[in-house]
Amino acid sequence: MAEILQYVHKDTFLHRLHPYTKIVSIIIVCVMCIIATNLVFLTFMVLAILVFAAYSRLLTESLQQLKLILVMSVLFILVTLITMPNGDILGYMIPEGVPVLGGLIPVTSGGLEIGLVLTFRFMILIFAFQLFLISTQPRDLVNAMEKAGLPIDYILMFIIALRFIPTLQIEGQRIHEAQLARGFNPGTGFIGKIRSVAPIAIPLVSNALLRSTVLGLTIDMRGYRTGKKTHVRERVLATRDYTVMSVLTVAGCGFIALVMTQMV
Amino acid sequence: MIELTNVSYTYPHTVQPALHRITLSLEKGRCVMVTGPSGAGKTSLCLAASGILHHEYGGKKEGSVVIDKKNVSEYSSLSDLAQNVGVVFDDPEAQMIFTTVEEEILSALEHRGLTAEVIEDRLSRIMKTTYLEELKDRSPHNLSGGQKQRVALAATLALGNDILILDEPTSELDEHATRRIADILKDLKDQGKTILLIEHKFGHFRGMVDTLIVLENGRITSGGAPDEVLKDDHIRGMILPDFSKVKKNARSVVSGEPVISVQNLTHCYGDVKALSGITLTIRKGEFIAIVGENGSGKTTLVKHFNHLLSPTSGDVIVNGKNTKTCSIAALACDVGLVFQNPDHMFFADTVREEIAYGVKNLNVKNGDAVIDAALRDAGLYESAGLYPRWLSRGERQRLGIACVVAMQPSVIVLDEPTTGLDGYEALLVIDILKNLQENGHTIIIITHNRDIADHCADRIITMESGKIISDTGGA
Repeated sequence: MAEILQYVHKDTFLHRLHPYTKIVSIIIVCVMCIIATNLVFLTFMVLAILVFAAYSRLLTESLQQLKLILVMSVLFILVTLITMPNGDILGYMIPEGVPVLGGLIPVTSGGLEIGLVLTFRFMILIFAFQLFLISTQPRDLVNAMEKAGLPIDYILMFIIALRFIPTLQIEGQRIHEAQLARGFNPGTGFIGKIRSVAPIAIPLVSNALLRSTVLGLTIDMRGYRTGKKTHVRERVLATRDYTVMSVLTVAGCGFIALVMTQMV
Repeated sequence: MIELTNVSYTYPHTVQPALHRITLSLEKGRCVMVTGPSGAGKTSLCLAASGILHHEYGGKKEGSVVIDKKNVSEYSSLSDLAQNVGVVFDDPEAQMIFTTVEEEILSALEHRGLTAEVIEDRLSRIMKTTYLEELKDRSPHNLSGGQKQRVALAATLALGNDILILDEPTSELDEHATRRIADILKDLKDQGKTILLIEHKFGHFRGMVDTLIVLENGRITSGGAPDEVLKDDHIRGMILPDFSKVKKNARSVVSGEPVISVQNLTHCYGDVKALSGITLTIRKGEFIAIVGENGSGKTTLVKHFNHLLSPTSGDVIVNGKNTKTCSIAALACDVGLVFQNPDHMFFADTVREEIAYGVKNLNVKNGDAVIDAALRDAGLYESAGLYPRWLSRGERQRLGIACVVAMQPSVIVLDEPTTGLDGYEALLVIDILKNLQENGHTIIIITHNRDIADHCADRIITMESGKIISDTGGA
């Protein structure tokens, strides 16, 4: 089963980077992809992230959500084509030959371009954030967030939300099978679909609520919220971290400078 | 180390006290085991003895709890209590917060004000004691129930407290995993830990228990040296159930018509071969037990009977229909499957509605009469109007069976129907299954309990690594 956003234990360059470095890198990448409007450049960024994922032996894991991303992309492009027609007309979504409706909703080069730009930005954000999460041990993440001054309760919330994704997936699957064995009918039509959610969702939510009591007690009994902590095996910023941050900062600044001069 | 004196407790919004005048003393280096039927208040006792009840729960509290010479009210918070007491709760999944085993234990160690060297040293010792060294980089969802339970125990040991309180640490585990936990606890006791153990499986812990306490309806009904306590027949039957009196089916069913026929079935999960070349005929009216270690393919096999899984190769024929050509819903009329721990699947507001769900789905004729019969068969007629999650563990197990029985399948398959139940509840479940067999149903149970398999089943199928290695009714 696909494990959504779960840490994958490997020993690679990316895994050895300090969480700070990764966060800084993500911020730079985000800024760059938001400023950029050049399709070639954005395609290059998507490919660069995927190449880096492959280098970190995390390509398969990175591409897990590809289906969802593609569906979202198609939706983005459709919406921009419909709402932002601009530039040359390349064709029509409903062929001109069709009576009455023919020739409606033109496919314009401008609309298509904006759609593609949004899609690529979306891909870059998802891939980069995902790569960050699956290559960073949660305890390193906790340490980094603590150092950054975030309150421990929020950090635990974030970590637990991530941690329980596969647990809920597995449990949902188990409940689904059990209800199928009881003749569960996935339902047809809108109302039917809504109704058919209950036999899966109610047990899933009740179990999760029940579990949260034990989880809360565990957190307190282990003293996670006491605030005092001995830091062991801490990651320190190493040469590789400074190198990565410098390279990306230079690249980011260079890119911004380039965009500015072109604008002027 | 722990002294409970006249402790009574009533949960908020309830009338019946969960604990009634409990007096209990746990001395240093001793092990006290508390047992009793589900719903007797064992978990409440565990919460009371650890001081959690006092600090985290509302409701009416009476009596005094003294932990390590200090009254619980003198402790400032749970974290303060945690300096003295380690608690392992019953749900191991909820006790794992990080995504690898090592992180989990390390994080618990980091909050004890120790130096880095001591932490590393303790970490490696705990990993060794709990046999987790090889699993250190695994994530929770890649661990078995027994392994998760060991991680929860290890993270609690990391706190380094002398008092350990464990709430049913082996309830969902098979024999092998239970034995492993028992061995670890025995070692811990030998190291001088004081242990309060809530358990059903006395047999596994016999060697280490100094005092056995029986809790029924929130009261201690018996307590003392295990041998003394077990002289009482009623208690013996609850703790060490005797399945040898279960009546075996007198009729021979060897000539019965086949209801399920499995032909050269192979199933692969990805690259892993879970079943290979299974051939098997199950005849009408048989009572079959499938036994084998975890991961031997038992559940994978039975999931083929109602098409929850499709064969990678080979065929499964149920009542003359090849499962490949049938939908799961269509097969639900032929084969009913009661999952391990069905109480996690309930969603209706009342017991009756819960049973009615399957009946409606399949459009069973005379629905109401069928539901009444199922309620009666399962001994739940009086509870028909209750909210399913309020039932005791044993009642919920029977409700799970009733839900399937009401759909009137000719074959009923049950995955671990007696896990987590006390002796009487387990016998009750077996009785229900025997009656169903009398009425012409074919019963297949997956069980870890060798006693049940030997005494209740007409035929025992043993599985190992995806193959049937022995079949007492081998046709």
